[in-house]
Amino acid sequence: MSTYISDSPTHFEFTSRHRTILMVGIALGVICLGMTWMVDDDFHSRFWSNLLHNSVFFTGIALMAGFFLCVCIMAWAGWHTVFKRVWEAMSMNLLVGLIFMTIIALVTYMHGNHLYHWADVAGYTAENDQVLIGKSGFLNKNVYLGFTVVFVGLWLFFMSRIRNLSIAEDSDGDASFSHHHKMRWYAALFLPLVGFSSAAMIWQWIMSIDAHWYSTMFAWYTGASWFVSMMCFTVLSLIYLKGKGYYPEVTDEHIHDIGKFIFAFSIFWTYLWFSQYMLIWYANVGEETIYFRERMDKYPILFYGNLIVNFLLPFFVLMRNDTKRKFGSLGFVAGVVFVGHWIDFFLMIKPGVAINTHHALGHGAHGDGHGDAHGHGAEHAGDHGHGVADAAGHGVEHASEFILGTSFPGFLELGTMIGFLSLFIFVFFTVLSKARLVPTNDPYLEESLHHHV
Amino acid sequence: MAENTKSIMAGKQITYGLYNDETDMMAAVKHANVKHLEIMDVFSPFPVHGLDPILGLSESRLHIAGFIYGLLGTLTAFLGMTWIFTKDWPIVFGGKPYWSVPAFIPITFELTVLFAAVGMTFTFYILCGLGPGVTNKVLDDRITDDKFCIAFDESEVSRGEAESFFSSTGATEFHSKVL
Repeated sequence: MSTYISDSPTHFEFTSRHRTILMVGIALGVICLGMTWMVDDDFHSRFWSNLLHNSVFFTGIALMAGFFLCVCIMAWAGWHTVFKRVWEAMSMNLLVGLIFMTIIALVTYMHGNHLYHWADVAGYTAENDQVLIGKSGFLNKNVYLGFTVVFVGLWLFFMSRIRNLSIAEDSDGDASFSHHHKMRWYAALFLPLVGFSSAAMIWQWIMSIDAHWYSTMFAWYTGASWFVSMMCFTVLSLIYLKGKGYYPEVTDEHIHDIGKFIFAFSIFWTYLWFSQYMLIWYANVGEETIYFRERMDKYPILFYGNLIVNFLLPFFVLMRNDTKRKFGSLGFVAGVVFVGHWIDFFLMIKPGVAINTHHALGHGAHGDGHGDAHGHGAEHAGDHGHGVADAAGHGVEHASEFILGTSFPGFLELGTMIGFLSLFIFVFFTVLSKARLVPTNDPYLEESLHHHV
Repeated sequence: MAENTKSIMAGKQITYGLYNDETDMMAAVKHANVKHLEIMDVFSPFPVHGLDPILGLSESRLHIAGFIYGLLGTLTAFLGMTWIFTKDWPIVFGGKPYWSVPAFIPITFELTVLFAAVGMTFTFYILCGLGPGVTNKVLDDRITDDKFCIAFDESEVSRGEAESFFSSTGATEFHSKVL
């Protein structure tokens, strides 16, 4: 079996300069998280929601990289093979995701935060919350912790196995393609696993913040957001790596295809965004409209800006053939849309957390001090007729309040995001530098080298 | 191809060679470029990647037409519904305002796609001289099956020149024909 020989560097070099810059970024994130903790309310809701926001966002990007790699494996696709190490390296960030999501799940388990309304109320009765009783089989701390650890752990396990097989193929791959066959088995198991478990995790992690509300499109919607962000990160990292002299094999043709994915999935995301909105608008049921009422009244800039940045911009800029092939235009759109989807997650998480915190704080404050804040929160919450009407009442009451970090991302949110992004890139570069950039014995490599659209 | 429809209709003496493989044909096209032989057209049973740039074909403007058709569809649907539901025949649906933009979006989307698709299809058919009842003159039936063809117009490239080109670039056969 002939091994592909490249005249460019075979391995990515993770230089000390990279390391220094990324460590500064991570330090900035840690400092910002620390400062958030200090300026926070009694329950540190800004701190926890920032942690949840970034953990979920970057875990999702890592997951989508692995997911799409497996889609390509199962589809006998060859176009991506030349840069598949980038997705393998991105997916290894699931380890970071596992750590952060487990921390959040453990603290939620111990009632250390008040992100989730369902976790705050100790015992529901038929009078106080029929809706949450109905959901309590799924929305409880045991399921939350169990699912988080088991599913993110499984995702990480599968992607590690696939990556190890892929690297082993470099050194001892042969014409029987035995490594590739094994990879197909793992990919075939991984895809249905991700299909169901990612939806469950999205419900648990994000949708259950607004515990009374649900949308059957939400998992798709969030998944599309992750997917577009993942493609944006991929194209930005490839442009960077090519600029540094790596990956001369990655041509305009590969970049063009990724550009098409950003374009297409931005439209897919918009389709879900709109469909979710329109069905709720049309049905006009109070329990459902409250979700959008909150966001449209209190977050008008982010709510409509979300649509402009994540739909109109990629739609009109990337519609042309040549803008998907030029690094300047595609890189610009990818960068803006990446931040745009981060803000999309901000908009999914923060309004609900603000309401939950308001509840917990409002009721918890009746007690004597905050020594055992969660206990008070829990017992007093039960006294009041909780439900949508109550949430709506509080929502309207505080409609005019502007709180930086809750109503709009502040510098602390931005710094935290830079910290998480630096950590993501740090792990990405570390993993990427440990294997050959081009998988030399992959059966699809030749096809990928001659990719033409 | 579309650009040469008129020249084929004019009734020209054409010399053409048939190749078994698209890589042979591509190499021959490059060879013709080097020797400055003006290729009239290339025919292949399927779209060949990378052929357009070496033939020097400019990018199709069909997609610009498509964008305009799409925009026309968007405006037709949106303005049409706006007029119907606010001026012509206002009806209250489920307590919603007359001018309910979210309800208009799906139809606006559908008409955008419909106008763009139908418009582009008809434009393409007209440009290529295709349509029901049209019989096309074909150089050789096998160019729709398994042969790749390079054609020269004899007023630009003489028959002798073309034939020596075909035999030197590995064409399996070559003929001359009036179309």
